[in-house]
Order: sequence, then structure tokens, then C-alpha cells
Amino acid sequence: MVAGKQDALLAQMRKGTLQYCVLALLSDEERYGFDLVRSLAETDGMVTSEGTIYPLLSRLRRDGLVETTWRESTSGPPRRYYKLTAAGRAALAAFRDEWERFRDAVDHFVERKAG
Amino acid sequence: MSTTPDKLVERYLKHLEVELDDVPRDRRREIVDEIAGHIAEARAGLEHETEADVRNILDGLGDPAEIAEDARERFDVRPPVPTAAYKPGWMEIGALIMLLVGGVVIPIVGWLVGVILLWLSNAWNVRDKLIGTIFVPGGLGLSILLFFMTATLESGGGSTCQIDSTTGQNHCTPVDGSDWNVFDVLKVLVVAAIIVAPIITTMYLGYRLRHHQQAAATA
Repeated sequence: MVAGKQDALLAQMRKGTLQYCVLALLSDEERYGFDLVRSLAETDGMVTSEGTIYPLLSRLRRDGLVETTWRESTSGPPRRYYKLTAAGRAALAAFRDEWERFRDAVDHFVERKAG
Repeated sequence: MSTTPDKLVERYLKHLEVELDDVPRDRRREIVDEIAGHIAEARAGLEHETEADVRNILDGLGDPAEIAEDARERFDVRPPVPTAAYKPGWMEIGALIMLLVGGVVIPIVGWLVGVILLWLSNAWNVRDKLIGTIFVPGGLGLSILLFFMTATLESGGGSTCQIDSTTGQNHCTPVDGSDWNVFDVLKVLVVAAIIVAPIITTMYLGYRLRHHQQAAATA
């Protein structure tokens, strides 16, 4: 039962932080869905089902944190590109501060001590 | 042979569409379109596409049920199972009937059965349940009891009688008319309210039930 709860907690943490990873990926350049998914999948342990990125992107768009533009592609049908809005940038900055504090605090207690 | 991967993709997207059934239409369209685009991009990047490649792409996307669950969570859509549990049934109908007339058939006990059913049901919120319990305890049973009580009092009223201690004679003097009229009007109003209140409460609870049923049906 304890192991089950731990899995659920990790899944929730992953789900909760994923949107900020997406916002961070969009902070330098606009990207289309498949490109975003590929970048996220390169880092192990972040996304278990790639398909769940799309409900998230849809939600971020509705919340006004990202905006989209269709662009022609050289290799096929047009792609929907996602771009950070000012609100998205602000949300990412606010999360980054909190996250660094939180991460350092947790590390302080649970990190393996060297030697 | 090239139709097999297409069939796999088609089946996957159809499955996804069905799983996303309770997600608002525009969002469902957006998610399905984007995932279809994702599959097309991934397939375009393959040099010699095999069925195994396509299966790997679909596996990477994940189970449509899992994507739909994630989408419901992201969009605060309640999963379909709990809403189905609110569907009004015999318990709700029994509660309404027993609250109103249970006390007439079996005094007190009949009404209490109605109260128990009311509070056991999931179809009303606490506020509705309190209204159902307070207006009016006993339901129409109490109304009828009070009605007969006031009627009996009334038959003894209309004049006040005193036995004269010296003569032993019964002196009845009619009470001043205007005073009695005010009292009568009040009494009639109270009795009317006590009869009407349980009926209104039952209608209200019934309305809330239908309202709930519609909400459950559209959810």
C-alpha cells in the first residue's frame, strides 16, 4: 500500500510540474506538438504517455499561457506552433522561484550525504 | 499490405474519440486532431515504415483511456461513474411519498421512514434535506391532526360560558365580534400554512430531483 501511494505521489508531482517544463521549453522558441513531445521524451522519467501532452497544451492555451499559430510545413500538412504569452512567461518565472526554494529545501533533507 | 498501419491508426483515433466522449466537443476535436498530427509527423519521419514502427508510435502516445483520464482531470470534467450514481430511483420516490403522506397512513413512523430515505439518498444536498425535514415534521399527518384539533376547539368557542357561583346557572356571553375575527383569520392562516407547507416542500424536492436528473443526463 505504501508503494502504491508513493507511485501515486510521483505521478501527481510529474503531472503538476509537466506544464512548467512545457512552458520552459517554449521560453526560447516556438515549437509544434510533435517537436515538444520529442524534446520532453529525450529526458527519461518525465513523460510516460506522450499523448497526455495534448490535453495539457489545450488547457494551457485556454488559460492564456500559450498561444498558437498555424504554419506551413515543408514536409507535410501545416503545423500548429505553440508560443509563450506574457502571462505564460510570468507563470513560469513565479514557478521557477518557488521550485528552486522547494527543491533546495527537499534536497537539504533527503539528499545522500557524501562520504 | 500498406493498409494495416493505416487501419491501426484509424482504430486508435476512433478509440480515443470514444474515450474522450465526455470532454467538451471543441477540446475533444483539438486533442484528437493534434494526436492525429503527431502520428502523421512520426510516420513521415520513418524511412521504411513497418507495422512494428506504427505500433511503437501508438504505444508511445499511450492508452487512449489514460489520455482521456488526463484530459478529464485537466478540464475538471467529472468522470461518468459518480454522476450515474445520483440517478433518482425508488428511494427518492419513496422518500417523497412517505414524507408527504406517510404520517397519515402510519402516524409518526410513516413520516420517519420518509426522513430516513431522504437522508440516505444521494440525490439531494444537505440544504434540501434540511428543508425536507423541517417543513413540516409529520408531513400531511401533522396538518390533519392540527386541523381536527383546531376544528374541535372551534366548536367549543364562539362564546364564553361561566357558571354563576351563586345561582348555579350557566351564563354564556358572546365574545366581542371584532376580536374573534382577528383570531379566526390568524388561525385559518396557520392551518392553511401547515397544510400547504408539506405540499410545497414535496414539490420543491421533486423539482430538485428532476433538475438533478437533467444535470446527470447532460453531464
